[in-house]
Amino acid sequence: MRLDEYIEDLEPDEEAERRRLAKEKSYEITDHLEEFERRFDDALSGDTLVGSTSPSIFVGRSNYPDIPVGLLSPVGDEDDAEEYVTDGDWYRQGYAIDDVLQRRTSLLNSNKRANVDSPSIASRLTPSVHDAWEGFVGVQREVAIADRPVDLEIGLDDTPDLGIDPGTDVATPRGPRANARNAELRENPYVPKPVKKTLEDDDWQAQGAMTYLYRRGFDVYDINSILSAGALGETEQRRLVPTRWSITAVDDTIGQFLRGRIRNEPSVDEVQVWVNEYMGNRYWVILAPGSWEFELVEMKAPGSIWNPNPEDDVWLQSASEGYDGRSSYVDETAGAYYAARLGVLEHLESIGRQAKCLVLREVSDDYWAPVGVWQVRESVRNAFDGVPGNAGGRESLAGEYGEAETFHGAVAQVAKRLPVSYERLQRKSELAAGLQSNLDAFSRSK
Amino acid sequence: MFKAIVSAETLTSALDSVSVLVDECKIHLEEDGLEIRAVDPANVGMVDLSLDAAAFESYEADGGLIGVDLSRLEDIAGMAESGQLIQLELDEETRKLQIQIDGLEYTLALIDPDSIRQEPDIPDLDLPAEVVLEGKDVNRSVTAADMVSDHIALGVEEGDEYFYVDAEGDTDDVHLELTGEDLIDLQVGPAHSLFSLDYLKDMNKAIPKDTEVTLHLGEEFPVKIYFGFAEGQGQVTYMLAPRIQSE
Repeated sequence: MRLDEYIEDLEPDEEAERRRLAKEKSYEITDHLEEFERRFDDALSGDTLVGSTSPSIFVGRSNYPDIPVGLLSPVGDEDDAEEYVTDGDWYRQGYAIDDVLQRRTSLLNSNKRANVDSPSIASRLTPSVHDAWEGFVGVQREVAIADRPVDLEIGLDDTPDLGIDPGTDVATPRGPRANARNAELRENPYVPKPVKKTLEDDDWQAQGAMTYLYRRGFDVYDINSILSAGALGETEQRRLVPTRWSITAVDDTIGQFLRGRIRNEPSVDEVQVWVNEYMGNRYWVILAPGSWEFELVEMKAPGSIWNPNPEDDVWLQSASEGYDGRSSYVDETAGAYYAARLGVLEHLESIGRQAKCLVLREVSDDYWAPVGVWQVRESVRNAFDGVPGNAGGRESLAGEYGEAETFHGAVAQVAKRLPVSYERLQRKSELAAGLQSNLDAFSRSK
Repeated sequence: MFKAIVSAETLTSALDSVSVLVDECKIHLEEDGLEIRAVDPANVGMVDLSLDAAAFESYEADGGLIGVDLSRLEDIAGMAESGQLIQLELDEETRKLQIQIDGLEYTLALIDPDSIRQEPDIPDLDLPAEVVLEGKDVNRSVTAADMVSDHIALGVEEGDEYFYVDAEGDTDDVHLELTGEDLIDLQVGPAHSLFSLDYLKDMNKAIPKDTEVTLHLGEEFPVKIYFGFAEGQGQVTYMLAPRIQSE
């Protein structure tokens, strides 16, 4: 499809309709919290939560290295515990922002402080969590490496604080919290074979082990949880990793692996523009012939989170890398950079090509609560794959692309639909300013 | 056979100008001096270096080829104090490089040259404009541009006859014009190209501030940067591919 026809198909009216629905639904959150409180009272027996189940963990980063380590459990909805795990299924089911908030705020985070590398007094002599399978941290680690929710019993020190943490740009929002006294397993968790292998091999660097799990079909969400619990890497290096950091570490590591895989592949042979929309975010992915180069530019509308003042100008942030990648952590765009890059690299690796790639992320004022960086990852991943079964009634162009003659022609055309001018984009974006050529292109051979 | 004695400054300058682009390289041990050619993995930046036999205190070689890990060799050269001499000798039997600095002996394992990426062919470029300026002006341009942007435009204004540097950032701009009076020499021609500062910053590190630097430029064409070191007995030519604005 030609790019101009492709762009024609974007219907602004549908966006407005979705915006209206989103605003109505956001009030449901308050009702939902009251219901949670009631369910919680039912589940509490003395100060112990009996018959609970935990699908996942959360490792905080406050007061590092003495951090809060938490078990997340869907109080009163144990049978559907799997549904509470943040992963690509949420996108596939077409979760909206308030669906995510409902899920996350229904998870009680029973947490206890632990030191990242010596969670128990016994292990102070050999600071590393690799042998910690006892006590609260031990149970938490079992939950992290198990492939399904684990039944357990949690002893609480006090009644939970039902206040909600709206989350950050990287981690998913969190719900009520309670201080835990202890936790006990009520079953023997099932640990998949490849995870056992990385767990038992104490001479395997974390990056290699992460890549191994990825190649064995584990998605970044599973790997993130395992890394977070300090269950892979060389023995002395094993420690608890705050969830927020481990999300980015896994995206970056798997991204580097995939980038290595396409390094010597031929380039795409045409300029392609892909687009996807999800939760008030629109993503343009522009691929062009040439050796690997990547940039994420984020445009945050006034009135959206992070740019709350409706009178302000659109906020622009960007980060990029060349053929050899970056030597420093990104200053701007943070975890979204690695999540978007992963989505693009997975596509390129699957078709055995490399490309120059510019991802433009528009954050509209529909995006009223941050749901976590998984939203960026899934939106970019699925820009190439399409929306399965038109989930959640979403009309989408995902899975199709528009063709353009030149990269800069495509950017100029897309810019007409952006909240910033082409000129301003060129000032901010390294790729829109100019694509890196290589010396071969100029060789007339001596 | 290879045996040479060279000042620490000269050896360090030579290694630094190559290591800004690559981690390992092949060194040709020619009868009349050393030669190194290398290109970065992305094939964006290239270096062509020669260090004449006359730059050494003593020099003997018969056309061998060795592969070295540059950061290793730089670390060793860094052990020498300013003004000290470094002696290099190739042990043909063990294929190791014996390095001596005032009694300190270091045996450096070499890398099989075949395992190092192939040396580039030097592209034959037709670049219409030539600018000769002082190293400190290159440094000033690159440093200022880096404050506002990740890329820099270099060009020549043919009508008013001056060389210019432009950098546009999100909010701030840098612009510098150097006329015939500020320059050592200028041959005007159609020239305007955009370059990545990542590369230029690294190349700039290797350019002595008090040396004469010659830039060859074209329109959306690579820049050729030439300068001498070691009192003119060493020569470096960099070539850097542009960022393309038009396609």
